[in-house]
Amino acid sequence: MSAAPNIPVLEVDGLVKHFPILGGLLQRRVGAVRAVDGVSFSIAKSETLGLVGESGCGKSTIGKTVLKLIEPTAGRILLGGEDVTKLKPGAMWPHRQRIQTIFQDPYSSMNPRLPAGTIVGEPLENYGITRGAETDERVARLFERVGLRPDAMRKYAHEFSGGQRQRLGIAKALSVNPDLIVADEPVSALDVSVQAQVLNLLIDLQEEYGLAYLFISHDLAVMRHISHRIAVMYLGRIVELATKRTLFTQPLHPYTEALLSAATAPDPKRRRKRKRIVQGDVPSPAKPPPGCHFHTRCPYAMAECKVTAPPLIEVAPGHHVACLRRPVGGDPGPLSVPG
Amino acid sequence: MSAILEVRDLHTQFNTLDGVVRAVDGVSFDVARGETLGIVGESGCGKSVTALSILRLIPPETGRIAQGSIRFEGNELTALSEEAMKSLRGHRISMIFQEPMTSLNPVLTVGTQIAENVVRHMGVPWSAARERAREMLDLVRIADAKRRLDEYPHQLSGGMRQRVMIAMALSCDPQVLIADEPTTALDVTIQAQILDLMIELKEKTGTAIVLITHDLGVVAETTERVVVMYAGRKVEEAPVEALFENPLHPYTRGLMRAIPRLDVEADAAGTRPRLQEIPGLVPILTRPIVGCAFAARCELATDRCRATPPPFVDAGGGHIVACWEVKL
Repeated sequence: MSAAPNIPVLEVDGLVKHFPILGGLLQRRVGAVRAVDGVSFSIAKSETLGLVGESGCGKSTIGKTVLKLIEPTAGRILLGGEDVTKLKPGAMWPHRQRIQTIFQDPYSSMNPRLPAGTIVGEPLENYGITRGAETDERVARLFERVGLRPDAMRKYAHEFSGGQRQRLGIAKALSVNPDLIVADEPVSALDVSVQAQVLNLLIDLQEEYGLAYLFISHDLAVMRHISHRIAVMYLGRIVELATKRTLFTQPLHPYTEALLSAATAPDPKRRRKRKRIVQGDVPSPAKPPPGCHFHTRCPYAMAECKVTAPPLIEVAPGHHVACLRRPVGGDPGPLSVPG
Repeated sequence: MSAILEVRDLHTQFNTLDGVVRAVDGVSFDVARGETLGIVGESGCGKSVTALSILRLIPPETGRIAQGSIRFEGNELTALSEEAMKSLRGHRISMIFQEPMTSLNPVLTVGTQIAENVVRHMGVPWSAARERAREMLDLVRIADAKRRLDEYPHQLSGGMRQRVMIAMALSCDPQVLIADEPTTALDVTIQAQILDLMIELKEKTGTAIVLITHDLGVVAETTERVVVMYAGRKVEEAPVEALFENPLHPYTRGLMRAIPRLDVEADAAGTRPRLQEIPGLVPILTRPIVGCAFAARCELATDRCRATPPPFVDAGGGHIVACWEVKL
């Protein structure tokens, strides 16, 4: 199942997801957590789009909404050009073959009483792609492809190490030949040496099968390694979207700059070079600040930033940024602190 | 520099259904007065158990310090009574953990918890202890400290809770602060704030810090000396600059090549260099390890490596490495 080459594998347009806050004796709706607040992006075949941001920025909610595990409040989701936003679970079912997922902790998504081979083979039987012995053969090939020994098909999930379990999760996601894999923090729980194995595997599989990834992570170094384009999120909104190279060499949004400057690097000489650390905590997504959500922590904020929410605009080809101080054709140099 | 804490040949073991786990298997190191020592390694390498052993917090039902010595200010901690240890913990040596919520009491206010520690160890009246608590919250830069004293842990953000833990840990002027993954649960921007705060306070108070982490970036940016652990053993120890410029142990070298780098110059768009993998898995700690613990995953390993544990080789300048095949 492959979409035409010029149609994006996934297109998200103006996605909004609000979770109600219930309160009082009658559990009436008293407010909403604006987890995702108008987000648009697309992912092409063989492309990795990274979603990066701190806890509560809405990156995982986007993943779940795209998978239709939760219903969006507003906006559209297009898989290979087909609008699936309003599809009921039954009608969504055939589309699920095209979009698979890998979790941070694959263990919680695996039935502890089923052997690994059955877990990986289940989607194949579910979609009637293969049956019986044919499934076993296909699963054995999948095991080999992700670096597991085929005789491990008889083992149970708890008998695998963390890294092997993640390979199992990848094999399961791959089994139905999806176009897109949503990977939510797939290597965060792994040790560095194992993390490298899994990242390399994901890249190899992408090149082999033309997979698209929506890769969700808080780790900038991992992001930089695996993504082609990166969207930086803050409190439910994308604040900057650019190619990896542009984002890391010429970040324009003050929040991106803060994230890059806060990230640690394995280089003792760098500690003296660290520029500015943004102060304060991330505000609650139930009560985001008005105007630009970042203005409460932004050293460059002007009076205007407190009232006007900046739109995400393309300031240079492929480089989108949502900051009032970064207009189209503006100077990409460092911002000055308003005096 | 005189050592305030000396750990020698520490062996800590746990009884499990699968047999005896040798979590720490002969580790030695010193902590000098006022220095920041990093202990780095992957899960199961024994770094946290080393910390718990120093504070004698190994649960006696399952674990024990089987062998070795821990000397703090000249006292042998392994021989101290539980009563004597209690007056040491949170006073002369204190500790902060990864998830502050699990170490803070949810039903007591922040001020009460800090003051309790001060009353217990300093023997001052409650009012003075409360005042000390306020001072400490100021010190860890919690805004509006006076009001925060009367708040409960759940009213604070993750970063603030870790600040409270640091305030509590430093409230009795400890000589050594052991920090076990203190920023791992925090967001990047908050992590940077907490690391900066720890370094600043260390310089202000002269407390030595033992920073336990899996994160080489955190080690590089905050510590002065580093101990690298693998499978319960120390494999390398060096000043932080030397370790990152010239890692000598094949495991340390492997780790450094396995991490995606943020600070390396941008590659041409689209090309993603392969990360170096360390093949294989860590050894199972219930089976005695003959020879070098890393031999099974090491490309340099010889028969000698598999048969005899390597001695430490001195590379000069305080840089030592346990490897038979290291070329100096």
